[in-house]
Amino acid sequence: MTRHGAEVRLEGLGKSYGPVRAVKPLDLVIEGGTLVTLLGPSGCGKTTLLRMIAGLEQASEGRILIGGRDVTLLSAGERNVSMVFQSYALFPHMSVLENVAYGLVSSGIARRAAERTAEGALETVGLAGFGARLPSELSGGQQQRVAVARALVLEPDVLLFDEPLSNLDARLRRAMREEIRALQQRLGLTVIYVTHDQAEAMAVSDKVVVMLNAGIAQIGTPHALYTQPDNVFVATFMGEANHVRAEIEALEGDAARVRLGETVLHLPHRGLTPGPVDLMIRPEAIRIAAEGALPATVARATYMGAHTEYVFTTPVGELFATDRPGGSPGEAVRLALDPVGTVLVRP
Amino acid sequence: MSLARAPGLPAWLLAALAATLLPWHMQQDGVAGLFALRAEEADAASALGQAWFHGRFWFWPVLAALALALPGALARRSVFLLAGGGLGLLAIVAQGFAIGIQGWSWPFLEAWFGPLEERQFGMGLGGALCFLGCLLLVTDGLALRGFFKGDRFVAGAVGVLAASILIFTAWPVGTMLLQMFTPREELSGLTALGVRLFDGKIWGLGCVTGRVHCGVFWNTLVLAVSTASAATLLGLCFALLVTRSGFPAKRALRLLTVLPIITPPFVIGLGLILIFGRSGVVNQFVQSAFGLELGRWIYGFNGVWLAQVFSFTPTAFLVLIGVVEGISPAMEEASQTLRASRMRTFRAVSLPLMRPGLANAWLVVFVESLADFGNPIVLGGSFGVLSTEIFFAVVGAQQDFGRAAALAAIMLLVALAAFLIQRAVVGGRSYVAMTGKGDAGLPTPLPAPVRRLAYAVALPWALLTILVYGMALAGGFVRVWGRDWTPTLSHFTRAFALEWSASGQIIFVGGAWNSLFTTVTLAAIAAPITAGLGLLAAWLLTRQRFAGRTALEFALMLTFAVPGTVIGVAYILTYNLPPLEITGTAMILVACFVFRNLPVGVRSGVAAMSQLDKSLDEAAITLRASTFRTLRTVVLPLLKPAIVTALVYAFVRAMTTVSAVIFLVSAEYEMATVFIINRVINGDYGLAIAYCAVLILLMLAAIGLINLLVGRRQLGRREGART
Amino acid sequence: MIARIFALALMVAPAVSQAQGSLNMLCAPASDWCEAIAAAFQRDTGIRVAMARKSTGEILAQLRAEAQNPRTDLWFGGSAETHLVAAEMNLLQAYTSPNMAGLHDWARELHRMSNGRCVGVSSGAIALVWNRELIARRNLPVPRSWADLLNPAYRGEIQLPNPNSSGTAYTIIAGLIQLWDEERAFAYLRRLHANVNAYTRSGAAPMQAVARGETAVAVSFNMETISQQQAGFPIEMGYPEEGTSYEVACMSIVRGARNLAQARRFYDWYLTPAAMDIGPRVNQFHAPAHRDATPDPRIADMSGIRLIPYDFALFGEAATRRRILERWDREVGALPR
Repeated sequence: MTRHGAEVRLEGLGKSYGPVRAVKPLDLVIEGGTLVTLLGPSGCGKTTLLRMIAGLEQASEGRILIGGRDVTLLSAGERNVSMVFQSYALFPHMSVLENVAYGLVSSGIARRAAERTAEGALETVGLAGFGARLPSELSGGQQQRVAVARALVLEPDVLLFDEPLSNLDARLRRAMREEIRALQQRLGLTVIYVTHDQAEAMAVSDKVVVMLNAGIAQIGTPHALYTQPDNVFVATFMGEANHVRAEIEALEGDAARVRLGETVLHLPHRGLTPGPVDLMIRPEAIRIAAEGALPATVARATYMGAHTEYVFTTPVGELFATDRPGGSPGEAVRLALDPVGTVLVRP
Repeated sequence: MSLARAPGLPAWLLAALAATLLPWHMQQDGVAGLFALRAEEADAASALGQAWFHGRFWFWPVLAALALALPGALARRSVFLLAGGGLGLLAIVAQGFAIGIQGWSWPFLEAWFGPLEERQFGMGLGGALCFLGCLLLVTDGLALRGFFKGDRFVAGAVGVLAASILIFTAWPVGTMLLQMFTPREELSGLTALGVRLFDGKIWGLGCVTGRVHCGVFWNTLVLAVSTASAATLLGLCFALLVTRSGFPAKRALRLLTVLPIITPPFVIGLGLILIFGRSGVVNQFVQSAFGLELGRWIYGFNGVWLAQVFSFTPTAFLVLIGVVEGISPAMEEASQTLRASRMRTFRAVSLPLMRPGLANAWLVVFVESLADFGNPIVLGGSFGVLSTEIFFAVVGAQQDFGRAAALAAIMLLVALAAFLIQRAVVGGRSYVAMTGKGDAGLPTPLPAPVRRLAYAVALPWALLTILVYGMALAGGFVRVWGRDWTPTLSHFTRAFALEWSASGQIIFVGGAWNSLFTTVTLAAIAAPITAGLGLLAAWLLTRQRFAGRTALEFALMLTFAVPGTVIGVAYILTYNLPPLEITGTAMILVACFVFRNLPVGVRSGVAAMSQLDKSLDEAAITLRASTFRTLRTVVLPLLKPAIVTALVYAFVRAMTTVSAVIFLVSAEYEMATVFIINRVINGDYGLAIAYCAVLILLMLAAIGLINLLVGRRQLGRREGART
Repeated sequence: MIARIFALALMVAPAVSQAQGSLNMLCAPASDWCEAIAAAFQRDTGIRVAMARKSTGEILAQLRAEAQNPRTDLWFGGSAETHLVAAEMNLLQAYTSPNMAGLHDWARELHRMSNGRCVGVSSGAIALVWNRELIARRNLPVPRSWADLLNPAYRGEIQLPNPNSSGTAYTIIAGLIQLWDEERAFAYLRRLHANVNAYTRSGAAPMQAVARGETAVAVSFNMETISQQQAGFPIEMGYPEEGTSYEVACMSIVRGARNLAQARRFYDWYLTPAAMDIGPRVNQFHAPAHRDATPDPRIADMSGIRLIPYDFALFGEAATRRRILERWDREVGALPR
């Protein structure tokens, strides 16, 4: 079963329903053997994009290439992709084994052989011996694994997940996403994964495609998106961030001299020119430090065990921060900003 | 796999084999030989044989079109598929219409091409399959071009469905409506149309101003509106009682309301005459008790209205029970926790939620009343409605097809107007509050005033129904119905006697056997086709998005609005001549049943399909099941109850249809209902009712079958439920 | 039975004709009669008869629809006017049977009138019909003449068919026109209107209503009334003193018949006394066209009834028919209830 998944290439792919644009024409390359997440709030077009790749929706324009083959006009069954549905869509009238073998039998493999392969797939997901049961007799997590096995057994070029974990409770969700990631790594699959949960996206992805308003907001590794967001939306969607206004006074080599209230910071300029600019500050980048440049007052402090959540009142506005326990409300402090979690964004 | 690479090939092979090997025309004595390429007689040969050996040049274009499609079939070239298939269809249709049983069909063709010595009969197996093949070439071509999501099965299904509706509904109805323009004596086409359309007998308003009868249009409209309103109200009462009260005999009530659906026509009318007629039991009792003469009030509007309400309340009930059951108890519970009284909950929450369902039931009954023929003919007296007027315009002393067509057009317009108004008011088919998820919560019991009202309305009605049926069915077991009440079984022996010949073989002596066998057989053939096409259409309408979907949906519902009489006449007018010459065959009856009852199959399919999670079929598709395999292995098994309902309904409707088949029965294929009507006309009620009783038993058995299978579904659901 | 159903299922195409050939017949009289005739002919000749019973109007409608490609060979029964209309529309073909000599004059007259395209097979007269019990209970006089029907005592008690849909009604009205003249006939109908409770759409309905006691008096054909009498209903009838109209039922061969030889064989066969004796055996009491048919006491003797000389040719014409119907609509149908 070890093989390298195929590359998926979208060229100018778009979808509209009449005058409504569900997905604006976009280009995207998903390298073989990687797990790419489509992340975004509901209604951003991520599911439509996934369904176009699956062949469940017809593209209005553009092309889809899987492993170099143009599949734009092919039906879902001809594309060699598999999909795991949000509701799992297990056939309630078939046993688990029949469910898993279904795709193989559809592809013309003899039932006996198909069921043998299916048993192997069930073993892969840790469900050996459950084949004779009906889906309704399994727990949610087990159903989820059956759905994965059913998709995997076809050895697809691309495996698609449509919010696969949203029906599970928090603990199970964490376990399942790790299993999916491990399986993908072990088998070298190309996986496209839709979710609206950024933590899930961070946890499983090689790359994340953040979508907004039917278009791509930014593509990158989880780390890149977190540390180098292109805009306020990506920054706030990928974890918490304080958003303040600042101004670039001058460029000095790779760095920009940024004025934040009374304070001056030196940050990578990221191609920005002097003038007003947005500054994103991660909560963990704000530290209480005597040598800090920014004067502040502690407004609220909430003890959380491992850390404390602070709200500071500063000349540039309220800032939210996580730091070791220390300050207490009403106390005047100075704040230091860690350049790693402080980033300039185009206004 | 090779077929997957050459998607048009099966369709092409079908068309080509049909054109080269199968006899093109309908054969008098069935299909004797399948290899008809070199048949001696031109009429028995295949298209290629006729063109090559018999000089029938008009088949060359068909063959040329097929040749053109071949590269497309072999090499995935959609342009060739589209061009070849399209031209093939065109050539088949053109030659079929241009050359008929007397040579050229139109004089101008003769003027252009010179006289033609040849002639041809209607299309047969070869022609039909070749047509189908060409149609599939076109749909395959469209699918290759990316239409229908590139799905050849969907493309083919839409093509076949659209073509069959075009051929078996639009074409005959169009033919019929064109009759409006037939010139009459000295009147030209348009003047004749004007005279027919603006007739005082249709639009007269004499009943408002004086004591003259109103025009049939007003009669029909008033009757349909009052029947629809009354039947909806009654249906609602029954639905509420069955679902929301502790009414003890719910099952019996359900059965009672289903009875009229499976009852052959005339039974209700006859039963009403026996009870409320001038010499009926009620009149005689009133006269002996109070010395009052109630007179003949049952004849005319009153009687027809009463009989129609009897006939159509079950229809309304069946629509409304789904609506009432579909209201989420959670909403009513929410209303009650918000301190609304039961009455206020009912008035402010339940009733508004039912409104679309009520409108839907009302519309269905309205259209049924419009098309009803049996009740007005038995009880109408001088009171005429459009359906009877159409019938007598054709068969009566006037013999004016044009008038019938004009009346039919008016009737169609009324039905359409009702349909459109309903759509505008309700806004689509939205059954509100159907969450699809299992709600906990119990249905709120009815508020006391509503419950009392429902009992007060429904119970007498149920008793009356029992009485009417008892009176009517008694006719089969007494010597002379309404006169000599000596019990006898002679009517049954006359109808269904059996004898054993010397060799021990059964001889079917009774006069009814022949029509019973024909009816059961044809209904049994028609039912699976109706259910299959209906569910396929429902699946396409709910699950697929394609250009012209709304048009298809509308065309499908349209057949529902075309009254049976119109369809019957339209069918013989259309199918008596080539290219499709099926008058007098069983095929015309089957086609009539299928396309008359298709909307029912579609509706039940749509309802069932909307309860089925769409991702189930998508999952199957992504698992490389072909669309057809998805339908077969996933959708159909989960739709079992809907399939059974559609099957039985189609079967029952085929067995009880009258108005359309009167014109279509032939010597060989006589239907039970027509047999019954002939006995009724002859005054031989005993035999007619005995036959009805047997039919009712037969169909009750069918209903029993549904209940059995619907019961099984609930079991399957529990198994299928996700935890 | 299963085998039979299976066989039927396969018979989607017209069935194979047998050695003697087959005959497609449309038959207008009562089903029992039609079936008895078909069976007897089949027994006598071995020709398979495919027979469908339809009302006269339905048959004419079907023949018109089929005109370009007839499926029917022979049309048995139904009023002479309808056959003449069909002949006028060129739907029928001429045939002169060798068995014509034994027929009554009225039957041969129609053959002459239609240029050989149909022949009379039976006859019946219009009679006044009443319910014995109802008349006694309501102390009504028994009607003896057309004039009697105008008696105000009958107010709301008489039922007539509507000529727009019923051939019987047309025969009644055409008879009155020929008895008096058109003006007087319509004047009579307008006065009669006060006593009429309904103009039914079907011709037999008023008589059936009388049989069931739904109305006291009606005007109807005698042979249909006799059938109801035989069934045990308290129905009586008499012929109007002034004279009454009558109908002749005809038989004809369809133009373009596919089984012409068999159709002629039936035509010849029916014009024999033996075939004409079948009717009474199945409770059908039309007066037979053959002079040598066995007399039956239940069949009305046409020679004993005062008949109006009826001009089938004139009153069978579509134009005459339309004119009379329109006048009826205008002057009678439009009167207040």
